[in-house]
Amino acid sequence: MATVTIYSTPTCVYCKMAKEFFKKNNIAYEEHDVAADMKAREDMVNKSHQLGVPVIDIDNNIVIGFDQKTIEGLLGLKKA
Amino acid sequence: MYDLIIIGGGPGGVAAGIYAARKKMKTALITDTFGGQSLVSNGIENWIGTKSISGFDLAKNLEEHLRAQTGIDIIDGDLVAGVVKKDDGTFSVTTKNSKTLETKYVLLTSGSRRKRLGVPGEDKFDGKGVVFCTTCDAPLFGGKTVAVVGGGNSALEGVEDLLQYASKIYLFVRSEVLRGDPVTQEKVKSHPSVQILWNSVIEEIKGETFVNGIKYKDVKTGESKDLPLDGVFVEIGLVPNSDFVKDLVKLDDFGHVIVDHKTQQASCPGIWAAGDVSDVLYDQNNISVGDAIKATLNIYDKIKKS
Repeated sequence: MATVTIYSTPTCVYCKMAKEFFKKNNIAYEEHDVAADMKAREDMVNKSHQLGVPVIDIDNNIVIGFDQKTIEGLLGLKKA
Repeated sequence: MYDLIIIGGGPGGVAAGIYAARKKMKTALITDTFGGQSLVSNGIENWIGTKSISGFDLAKNLEEHLRAQTGIDIIDGDLVAGVVKKDDGTFSVTTKNSKTLETKYVLLTSGSRRKRLGVPGEDKFDGKGVVFCTTCDAPLFGGKTVAVVGGGNSALEGVEDLLQYASKIYLFVRSEVLRGDPVTQEKVKSHPSVQILWNSVIEEIKGETFVNGIKYKDVKTGESKDLPLDGVFVEIGLVPNSDFVKDLVKLDDFGHVIVDHKTQQASCPGIWAAGDVSDVLYDQNNISVGDAIKATLNIYDKIKKS
């Protein structure tokens, strides 16, 4: 089982799309709201050099944005 | 061979898909995502029949309604790369994921995308201080100094989104007037954290890992200045997604597909367009829906007669 972390803001629709995608595919994930959690924001920036959400960490592979194809690849999901 | 291929999954495309399926036309709809540009909107208050709905929920409702139809092929997560008209008058549509589909008729509901500044540093710092989704990323700029570029509603709403986070907001307006709703204009103009720089255009976005400043020019005096800041929010309007048909249909100076507003037919027989990609006077979800349905019924009439 992959370890999945998503860094998000409450107003980010692509974050919502990513979370719905994980739910639909029964992928467990940990979420950090980087609007409120400064420590998580720092982690996100250090990991990704990115100041934009979502940033998704799948087993230490960093995905910028809701890039469904890359996420499917990293999780070994194949689109029906 | 399809009767109809619909390109785009915004309100227009989905409306067309539902009508086409109910008319039992052999139809495919190709789209990257559902909901169109409203997807990132926090609240839509003018979608008729619903008092208030988020862009995300609107997109979900549209997708659900479309998927409830039988007899329509939905190809999502993909984009159209090219449309070619063949000698027999039918069309061949290819996608980014290298699918090729054949169809008698094409309906363009591909909407538009955000315009970029086209200045040095914009691509390099995309996601590193340059922001194209203000609602998404505004919370990351707490206590920071930022620039918002644009003079229309989206720029003003961008400033509004940022007011609760950023400590200083420079609004760069190319001309001497703001377009956009008077109420929002007043709010933005009178807010102490907002400084409007009239007649000013950004020439370069600078930084190391992240944005740390810009160079901008006062177009009246021709003087260039440097300004240290942490973020640039680009809200300068839209470009129609018509590139893949530009050799087939007539476009206006902005790239909108010119249509006959009675039927939504484009200049090339067999192609229709509706919504923001067309030269419609008002870019509105509700209008896109009506125009796309008009186009679909007109295409249905064509099929019945042939």
